[in-house]
Amino acid sequence: MKKTTGNKVKLGIFVSASVILLITGIYFIGQRQQLFNNTFTISGIFKDINGLEVGNNVRFAGINVGVVEDIQQVTDSTVKVDMVIRDETRKFMKKNAKAIIGSDGLMGNQIVTIIPGPAGKAQVVDNDIIATAKTVSMDEILTKIKVTADNAAIITTDLAAVIDNIHAGKGTIGKLLMDSSMAGTVNDAMVNIKQAAGGLNQNMTAASHNFLLRGYFKKKEKKAQDKADEEKKASEKDKK
Amino acid sequence: MAINLKIENKAVVEKIAKLEEHLHLQALKGFFAEVADMTMFTLRFFKEALKPRYEFKELIKQAYLIGYKSFPLIAITGLIMGLVLTIQSRPTLAEFGAESWLPAMVAVSIVREIGPVITALIFAGKVGSGIGAELASMKVTEQIDAMEVSGINPFKYLVVTRIAAATFMLPVLVIASDAISMYGAYIGVNLKGDVTFHLFFLEVFDKLSFSDVFPALIKTVFFGFAVGLIGCFKGYNADKGTEGVGKSANAAVVYGSLMVFVIDMIAVQVTSLFS
Repeated sequence: MKKTTGNKVKLGIFVSASVILLITGIYFIGQRQQLFNNTFTISGIFKDINGLEVGNNVRFAGINVGVVEDIQQVTDSTVKVDMVIRDETRKFMKKNAKAIIGSDGLMGNQIVTIIPGPAGKAQVVDNDIIATAKTVSMDEILTKIKVTADNAAIITTDLAAVIDNIHAGKGTIGKLLMDSSMAGTVNDAMVNIKQAAGGLNQNMTAASHNFLLRGYFKKKEKKAQDKADEEKKASEKDKK
Repeated sequence: MAINLKIENKAVVEKIAKLEEHLHLQALKGFFAEVADMTMFTLRFFKEALKPRYEFKELIKQAYLIGYKSFPLIAITGLIMGLVLTIQSRPTLAEFGAESWLPAMVAVSIVREIGPVITALIFAGKVGSGIGAELASMKVTEQIDAMEVSGINPFKYLVVTRIAAATFMLPVLVIASDAISMYGAYIGVNLKGDVTFHLFFLEVFDKLSFSDVFPALIKTVFFGFAVGLIGCFKGYNADKGTEGVGKSANAAVVYGSLMVFVIDMIAVQVTSLFS
């Protein structure tokens, strides 16, 4: 009889402990889903919710303050998202706050982030509809990257054609770089220019001795001398 | 001579084919007969369970033997399960730099699937074989017949109490096992990392939802019922002789474990249908 009672007590403790564990688990899960907190509801109208689901977190200033309670498609291009928010956050959340849908890390769930607006506005009230902002979706980023990649492909194709032409000695740069006869012609031209410059030098010397131009050259020489003297005086003054 | 041999061979082949057909037919007949017996046994259970007078004292005794006495085994299995699952999952998550997901991932795996199924399999091994062997030995030694003669309803006293105890106690054991597995997972996470107990449980409950807990708990009721029912059926209908005891115990474990998987598959389909 005594043994039976002892067994009963042991069984009772075991079952009670398990039931308490279950209730504790349910309480924690429920608390996370805001079942046992004072809450208020706000909504946001989005064009695209990027796979947001009921139960996803709502963050305000980086803190998890609520969860997405309901998602309803209102029209073909608008979706209403209802969010349950902890009541203690209400005093910080103003009517000009904005909701955006983002991702919790690279592989994380979608979340709604509420960005506080400038101060001065009234607090949000239950069932308020706050403004929303569109976020750049991964698809949009990929579309832009694709356009850039397409342009890069066109540019590299053109560049390859230009390099081919240069390599084949076509065009001015191609001839300049690849054509050896062009180099010979340029060399001849340089010799001619050198000879012409020598002839011109002789002509200028002859011209400076001509009585018609002698005055001009002397004036020029004097000006240069004056400028050099002034510079010398200035440097001596600075030294002193 | 050669022609005669051929004819004889043909006759033998025909005889073997007939024998094979007969055996297949017998096996098929045996299977359907067993299904029918099992159905009748189940219906009788509900009939006897609902009809007064109730054997509460025996029910509590069986709950103690089936539930409380199985706890140490389930606790050790649960602790190792949580620890091993965490250690095994870490390298894969580390490849993606997602080690912080370890508590949540292990928690969801344990609560939804691994905890209930592994616990039910251990339960089938310990309790199913125990019930099968106990009832079979009572049958073989004609104790069940003696009970009938002395005016006690053996089905109500032996079968109903055991099946009910298995049905009630397995969910309780699974809750305990899940909690211990979480502790094992916490140890596993801290073997190569440094996560506080508070943060670990915050992450666990952040990812768990009611849709993880309740379907898993409901299916354990069916697991317990199936293990108890098969154990009792095999034991209650054991063949005469000591060989029958071994066969019953073995069949109770094998079919009990198989039914756990079958029920699990159905439960997953039903859960995904409603989620």
